[in-house]
Amino acid sequence: MKAKKERGGTPIRGLLPLVALLVIWELVGDPASPYFPPPSTWIDGIQPLIDADKLLPAIGQTSLTFVLGLAIATALGAIVGTLVGASRSVDRALSPSLEFLRALPAASLVPVAALVLGYTTQMKLVVVVLPATWPILLTCRTARRTLSPVLLDTPRTLGLSTWHRTTKILTPALTPAVLLGVRVAAPLALIITLLVEIVTRVNGLGAALGAAQAGFLSAQVYGLLTIAGILGFAVNWIVTRAETSVSRRMRGTV
Amino acid sequence: MTPTISCTDLEVTLPGASGAVNILAGVNLSVAKAEFVSILGTSGSGKTTLLRVLGGLLPATGGEVRCDGTPIQGPPDGVVTVFQDYAHSLLPWRTVRRNVALGIEARLGRAERDERVDEALTMVGLLERADEYPWRLSGGMQQRVQIARALATRPRVLLMDEPFGALDAMTKASLQDQLQQVQSLTETTIVFVTHDVEEAVYLSDRLVVLNGSPADIGLTLDIPLPRPRHQISTKERADYLELRHRVYEALGHTVGEPARG
Amino acid sequence: MARRINVLGAAVFVLALGLWELLVRTSILDFAYLPPPTVVAQGLGELVSSGELGEALGHTLFAALSGWALAALAGVAAGSVLGLVRPVWMYSMASLEALRALPIVAFVPVAVLLFGFSVQTEIMVAFYAALWPILLNTISGMRTEPRMLESGAVLRLSRAAVLWKIRLPGATAMIVVGLRLGLSVSLVLTLVAEMVGNPAGLGFLLVEKGQALQPGQMFAAVFVIGVTGIILNALVMGAARLAFRGQMASSGEVSS
Ligand SMILES: Nc1ncnc2c1ncn2[C@@H]1O[C@H](COP(=O)(O)OP(=O)(O)OP(=O)(O)O)[C@@H](O)[C@H]1O
Ligand SMILES: [Mg+2]
Repeated sequence: MKAKKERGGTPIRGLLPLVALLVIWELVGDPASPYFPPPSTWIDGIQPLIDADKLLPAIGQTSLTFVLGLAIATALGAIVGTLVGASRSVDRALSPSLEFLRALPAASLVPVAALVLGYTTQMKLVVVVLPATWPILLTCRTARRTLSPVLLDTPRTLGLSTWHRTTKILTPALTPAVLLGVRVAAPLALIITLLVEIVTRVNGLGAALGAAQAGFLSAQVYGLLTIAGILGFAVNWIVTRAETSVSRRMRGTV
Repeated sequence: MTPTISCTDLEVTLPGASGAVNILAGVNLSVAKAEFVSILGTSGSGKTTLLRVLGGLLPATGGEVRCDGTPIQGPPDGVVTVFQDYAHSLLPWRTVRRNVALGIEARLGRAERDERVDEALTMVGLLERADEYPWRLSGGMQQRVQIARALATRPRVLLMDEPFGALDAMTKASLQDQLQQVQSLTETTIVFVTHDVEEAVYLSDRLVVLNGSPADIGLTLDIPLPRPRHQISTKERADYLELRHRVYEALGHTVGEPARG
Repeated sequence: MARRINVLGAAVFVLALGLWELLVRTSILDFAYLPPPTVVAQGLGELVSSGELGEALGHTLFAALSGWALAALAGVAAGSVLGLVRPVWMYSMASLEALRALPIVAFVPVAVLLFGFSVQTEIMVAFYAALWPILLNTISGMRTEPRMLESGAVLRLSRAAVLWKIRLPGATAMIVVGLRLGLSVSLVLTLVAEMVGNPAGLGFLLVEKGQALQPGQMFAAVFVIGVTGIILNALVMGAARLAFRGQMASSGEVSS
């Protein structure tokens, strides 16, 4: 497990317990243990995957599903959220149905999607998109609802076209909210991507994890878990950075 | 001659907490070209609502609004509103210059756009701050940016909602005079909402007072003071004081009693 | 919650179901295993009458709630210590943040590895999943606003009194949010554990019905899972509102 520098606020010395744990594990751990192989064996554990040229494609497939799923969820969440936020009656009409969809846990959708759509990348995408849409939809709805009416009147009185009203006013005004939603949705999308892969074994890192567990390759399981963790870190870091820098600019609080 | 902007039997109903509320009823107003008309009224009387209807931002529930003789649907060309809530009207992600360019950038070439923006910013005295973001400016400056943005479009009709409400007395006076100057140069028609009686009398050709609930026009008063007007000499004239007196009375104040509200 | 009944919304919901039925019946929506709502309802009936549903639901609830309850105890206790004792926080928070970034589902194979195909696996997974939101929300909830602590100092309250009367009530709303999040996450992860680990409960029921090509019963199980989540969430909220009236209202949690 890589010790990464955390973003501001949390002191780095807080990593000490984790490092200590890993060191003790390394020193005391039995390399042949079927349950707790020490960290140094983890790399050996994933070596066969690297040799068979399977690791990078798996990471690639996971990343692809994640990125595509998040992109579709962002577009969907932003559009539906804006529509629902703009009109009370649309909101009232759609919210019970949306609430019901939201209550369906992603995990329960996996077997259903697999049966209906087959064990395909499309199936993975559908399962990822649905839950990742909510955070974006909700923040976008609130932002649209609380948008100042004056801000909406401004382009009208200046005679801007509908297209320019959308691109020059509405989009920039809602971007911080969308990114805030993405910040919540991104880790979720990654988790669900792995979840689908673990459950259906279609492809990707999750499938490799599931296979390693099924073959009792404990060192490989821990190695893959670490890689998943690094992926999680990277995703978190990127979306947090993007969100803070963009929203500062857009909200005018640099 | 057809009035530049007019409304007849205007009625506006807005949704309130307990059902629809009738805000304006039976409002008749017509403003001629290059005329300066002020709308006075206490807070909540419906001044902003009336201005939004005239600007095509709010559909009337009853009656008719016309601009140059044709009934309006949406904001007519060349009619620009300057909002009371300037803070939310400026785009925080754009610099002052780009905010002022918002209304003309899609229609004009780069050179002409820059020229107009500079001209408008010079008129409100903010040329040096052109590359600042609006939220780094004071409230009064932000309002001037909004005015510059409207002027940059070279409007035929300016609808201004308490544009100088947030300013100190000195800036206010100088902007009042700039506005008069701009109007005499460009012959812009101006409808000006304020609750400052002196300001209304000083600037207007005519002023109307909104009162009642639902509100209609209670008093219409011509202001035949000679132009150009001056902050000191005009305000010392006997007819100015007389007009001011009548407006205060119309708003419910009586001589010898301290002002209320 | 005293809202008017949303007739429009209900109508749209029913309409959507009707449309789904129509599209499937007319084969416009043509998937081999997409059942129309009527077949789903039928499937629900079959699951209930065969007793499978009750048993699976009971099992899943037991595992999820056990894990969640353990996580609630551990999370609130550890979170209070971390939130209140500054040095402990300084010397461990970064570790927690590092661990938290590991995608929770990736631990399911680890748990299966460690605990095998047993209900312990499910409980451990549910525990681990629910621990994070509860722990982190408790930590930030315990960070009382300095103003409130000052008023405690002004009133010369003892340390215990400050903890009991100011810090804990101040943290309640945040902790409840953590508990709610934790509950829904533990339900989801229990299902995953059942799908890839212990063959029991609703998660396995879903997989089993999928393999038996029974889409009607499968969708019915999904429906039941969704409703279960809604009910559990409402129960936690209701209980919290009853127990901590004032704190919940002041945080605006009541209306949500
Ligand atoms: N969007 C709206 N929806 C419903 N009612 C509104 C809305 N906007 C204003 N009102 C109501 O209309 C009435 C008139 O408001 P308006 O803003 O026109 O007053 P005003 O004369 O401009 O006041 P002020 O001097 O404070 O700006 C008020 O009672 C207000 O509550
Ligand atoms: Mg107003």
